[in-house]
Parts: sequence; C-alpha cells; structure tokens
Amino acid sequence: MESYKDEDFAAQAKSILERYPREQRFALAMMQDFQRKYDYLSQEAIRQIAAYLQIPSGKIYSLATFYKAFSLEKKGKYIIKVCDGTACHVRSSMQILEEIEKLLGIMPGGTTADGRFSLETVKCLGTCALAPVMVINDEYYGSLTAGKVREILKKYGDGGGADEE
Amino acid sequence: MKIRINGIDCEAQPGEFILDVARRNNIYIPTLCHHDAFAGEARCRLCIVEVVERGRSRVVTSCVYPVAGEIEVATDTEKIRSLRKTLLMLLLARTPQNETIKKLAREYGVTEVARFESDPQEECILCNLCVRACEQLGAGAIYAVNRGVTKKVATLFEEPAEECIGCAACAAICPTGAIKVLEKEGKRIIWNREFEMVPCSNCGRPFATAEQLAFYRARLKVAPDRYGGDRLCENCRQKRAAELASLMSPARLR
Ligand code: SF4
Ligand code: FES
Repeated sequence: MESYKDEDFAAQAKSILERYPREQRFALAMMQDFQRKYDYLSQEAIRQIAAYLQIPSGKIYSLATFYKAFSLEKKGKYIIKVCDGTACHVRSSMQILEEIEKLLGIMPGGTTADGRFSLETVKCLGTCALAPVMVINDEYYGSLTAGKVREILKKYGDGGGADEE
Repeated sequence: MKIRINGIDCEAQPGEFILDVARRNNIYIPTLCHHDAFAGEARCRLCIVEVVERGRSRVVTSCVYPVAGEIEVATDTEKIRSLRKTLLMLLLARTPQNETIKKLAREYGVTEVARFESDPQEECILCNLCVRACEQLGAGAIYAVNRGVTKKVATLFEEPAEECIGCAACAAICPTGAIKVLEKEGKRIIWNREFEMVPCSNCGRPFATAEQLAFYRARLKVAPDRYGGDRLCENCRQKRAAELASLMSPARLR
C-alpha cells in the first residue's frame, strides 16, 4: 500500500487521473483507483479528482460518503473485521466486539491513535462454521472467545505482529 | 388537449406535468420539493393525485407526471388525503419542530407522532432544492452527504464552506427554512462562514457579499466599473429602472 506524500502528490494523482477522459461518469472509477492505491481517499485526492473533472469538490465528497467502498480516513496497519452476520451474532459476536473495543479503546469505524488497528464489523465472512469469526488483514480467526481475542491481539501488538515484515 | 381536474376542464399541452396544468387553473396541490426553476425532484411525494385513464384509477406524482391523453384527475379524494396524511406523519416524525411541516400536518389531521424517535433540531426534509440552487446560482458548495438515516446536506468535509460565496440562494429556496442565515452589522453568517456585506451605493443598506458580486461579475464577464461603480440593492435597482423608464417614456420624449 502506498501512502499519500505531499511533495509529489499532484504528479502521482495525475498519473491516475489522466487515464480517464475529463468526464463525470469516470469519477467513481478514479475514486476506486485512489482507494485501491492508498487504501483511503484523502481530502487532497478528492480535490484533485474534482479539479481534473472541473466540478466542485463537494460532488466527489458526496459520492465518497455515499458508498461504503470508500474510506475517508487512513486505516490502521491491521484491519480487524468482526463478523456480525446471523450465525456469528447468535454465537455472541457482540461480546467479541466489545472485548476488542475495550482492549483497543476504539469503536467500529475507528482507528487506534498509533495507527496500528482499525476496527470494523461486517455482515458474514462466509465462514459461519467457525462462528464467531474475525479476520485481521487476511488472517481468519474462528471459534473466538474473549480470552482468545486477547491472545490474538497480543500477537499484533508492539513487539511484532503475526505478519510483521 | 383537454384534461379534467376536479371536474374542471383544463387545456393542457402533451407532455406537460399535471401540477403545472393545475396551477395554471388555480387548482391547489400541496408541494414541498417543487420549484418552478428546479422541477423534477419528486422527493416529497406530497403532490400525489389520482388519475383515471381508460376506466382505471392510479395514484401518480403530479409534479413529474406528463399528460399524454385525455385524463381525469382528482387532487383531493379520500384516498389521496389519507396517503398525504401518512406522508406528513413521516415528515413530521423527521422534523417535529418545523413550522412549515407542522402546519401542513395539522391540515391533514396529524399533530404528533409518537411512534418514532425524532431529532428536535432537524428541519431539513432532504428535498435537494438547496443543492440545485447552489449549483446553478452559487458555487456548488453544498451537496448531500452520507446515505440512509445519516444523509444530510453539507459543505465539503463538513467544514466552514470554502467555496461558498454567501449568496444565500439555498436559504431562500428552502421550503422549510432549514438553512440559517444571520445578518447583522454588515455581516452575513451562513454555513459556518462569515461574510462582509457590501452596502448599496444609493441607500447604503448592506445587500450582498463581496464574494457574491465578484462571482457574478466573473460569470457575466463584466468589468467592476461597468456601471460607473454602482452597486445597487434590489430596491434601488428597481427604482432606478423605473426612473429611466419614465424618462424615456413616449410622453416625455414628445
Ligand atoms: S435544507 Fe431545505 S432546501 Fe435543502 S434539502 Fe433540506 S429542506 Fe430541502
Ligand atoms: S412536489 Fe412532487 S414529489 Fe414533491
């Protein structure tokens, strides 16, 4: 994942934008490209897209806040998705979520101050047999209990995450 | 072509919307999201009417329903009133303290909605008229953000509107008066931004923001001193136009 850099951002943005004609119908495709490349849409990205299309930035902001596929904030290094689909819900996924909220001090949609974790809830990860489930980046953890969650998060804490480079 | 609205014969052009035909003939249909300059939002649904065509009756949205054949329209039937009552019940649940909505709701026998949790501060019914007015007359400073129950009209990043020129077209068009404009001591505050106002060069009343005048000049491509540097408020402009007209009246010129 690349991060937004101030110095050469205009040039970086240009390389994405210029793949498209200056037509509003390509706005979503451009936004997806930024989201894919940087993991979120920065305010500057929104402004650049709007400037390229010669439309008010508010229009892009409106689209960005409408679709769940876009994030307007930088996400944590590890994105924890706690499943709250039906199967997980009946197996007390809410308790798992509460445990994580307590441990990290953030609510779903939030990111820890150190930029390490983001917390989200999702509706079914397609692994109901493992309920309750969460996934951290691409790693699945099933049959969770509050105790297990504590152990798992410890692995990702300072001193080396499970997939630390 | 002829259509009948509430038993009255009305002349209509094919493709004309029922609402426009009705208004021309002084037949009242309540609306919230309709404005002649920005037609077609069709969000509030309050303008519903019954249309009878080839013996079949249907409920349609009159602000966007084009007349195609010889139809019979009824604007205030039992059924329509009960549907509007439901709509107003929902609107009142959204904006429980708004005077416009309260008044309309009362007319349809809705005084209070206990079934939903309401936000007493909410006054916007999401008709989108302000967004369109801002796009066309202003700078495109406000748009709808979020969706579902969190949807609202907001400025870019929900910060004090940087694009805004302070023209207040949004507030002027809002059917419920949801957008607040504060004017005092030569300043106008709107969308969390404060603007200096420019005084009328004739009567001295502050009447527009500097940003607004610059924006219009740029759009119309006129130089600032085109009219001898005059900046007239609406009243003085009209007065001046009337003066000019009388000066040039044939009676005088003769
Ligand atoms: S603020 Fe007023 S004009 Fe704008 S969407 Fe809400 S009700 Fe309509
Ligand atoms: S006036 Fe027709 S839907 Fe609002």
